[in-house]
Amino acid sequence: MIRLERATKLVRMKGVSKVIINDVSFVIPRGRSIGLLGRNGAGKSTLLQIIAGTLSLDSGKVIREGKISWPLGFQGSFQGNLSGEQNVRFVARIYGVDTEELVDYVADFAELGAFYKAPVRTYSSGMKARLAFGVSMGVKFDYYLVDEITAVGDTNFKRKSQHVFKERLTDSDVIMVSHSATTLRDYCETGMVLEEGKLAYYDNIEDAIAVHERNMKRQ
Amino acid sequence: MYYFLVHLRVLSALVIRETSTRFGTNPGGYIWAFLDPLAHIAFLSVIFMAIAHAPALGTSFPLFFATGYIGFQFYQGMAGYLNGAVASNRSLLSYPNVAPIDTILARYILQFGTTAVVGFCVFALIGLSLRSSITIQWPFLIEAAFAGSLLALGSGLANNVLFIKYPLYEKFYGIVTRPLFMVSGIFFLPDALPHPAREVVLLNPLVHVVMLFRQGFYPEYRAIGFDAGYLYSVAFSLLFGGLLIFTSSRSILRGR
Repeated sequence: MIRLERATKLVRMKGVSKVIINDVSFVIPRGRSIGLLGRNGAGKSTLLQIIAGTLSLDSGKVIREGKISWPLGFQGSFQGNLSGEQNVRFVARIYGVDTEELVDYVADFAELGAFYKAPVRTYSSGMKARLAFGVSMGVKFDYYLVDEITAVGDTNFKRKSQHVFKERLTDSDVIMVSHSATTLRDYCETGMVLEEGKLAYYDNIEDAIAVHERNMKRQ
Repeated sequence: MYYFLVHLRVLSALVIRETSTRFGTNPGGYIWAFLDPLAHIAFLSVIFMAIAHAPALGTSFPLFFATGYIGFQFYQGMAGYLNGAVASNRSLLSYPNVAPIDTILARYILQFGTTAVVGFCVFALIGLSLRSSITIQWPFLIEAAFAGSLLALGSGLANNVLFIKYPLYEKFYGIVTRPLFMVSGIFFLPDALPHPAREVVLLNPLVHVVMLFRQGFYPEYRAIGFDAGYLYSVAFSLLFGGLLIFTSSRSILRGR
């Protein structure tokens, strides 16, 4: 379970401040996968970082029960000077999972070949995304926070990663940010829409998508 | 208890991560950690042997400069390395487990260990080359190492925030701290300076660190003017101020 209690967050960038969430109280129960929708710049990624715990709130609090992943995004959370393998070892150590097992799992999954032992800064964005997806699937979490990272690689890789991810979702949940309605329908049953600092919850993902599309037309 | 275990896990992971990139892609890697002090000590020894008959303490030039250099290095090496701790681990801070302070502590541990091992090897080398044996009083050395590295820890905590917030300060800091090597009593003894100069030099806390370190090697050295109270007042004020700035700037350190 993840609970937000009267959570407020402002982001300040070069003197301009923007409300991400304004006095939001919210419970995300276990056993439901949630799609998070909102327009560009509404603060979806920021909200994921708040849930993960890398950003702190201005007021209110977040109560977390269960193991929550870091936000999985395209830009990745990798140290450029370290090789892919060293980055995987680092993740294994900080989450206390078997190092060699995870290294082998990701080597097999991400299909990086010789690049696995090369510094991550030499990777293409697709390779980084494959590494990110592989390492997160190798660690078991109760909640996966996914920021637009489901569709990476060629058709074969996509099929494989979808299969693995679906398997994970049998006993884990996901909070997913995506602009693709098809992807959201595929993975999530319920939805949230973030608009102007307010977070609205919908039991059915279709309702959330409909509201989001209406918002977009309204500009 | 659980949080403590997570911290330990993250800390050890960061130490391993830093060890693998400490000397970057330089060929030779850790050899440089040894070559750098050896070159400095050799260089100073050659110059001073040409202009003086005997060092200010004892009879060995290399030992005199090594005691100054290694004592100073517990501050200098540490300060330089800590200043980039958060910036060079920025991407790893996207893991919620990893806190900014962990990157500082990991570098502190690694750098302290490195200087200690390098110092041990340098003194072993010099000791073997001397005819008379060196008597070492460990409490002085250990205390000086901690005092010097605490000074660096305090300033490092503050600098990690201030360098991001005020880029101009970083330039200023670089200019002001560059002559520290010259004024920290590495190749002279403050005891021997005339009246007004000595008081001015003793305002530099690093002079006290080096004096403390030298007492561990020269039992006859009286270290006139050494003031432990002053040294620790500065060290703990810096540490307190640094911690205050560091802990109140969490969002800056995480890159927001």
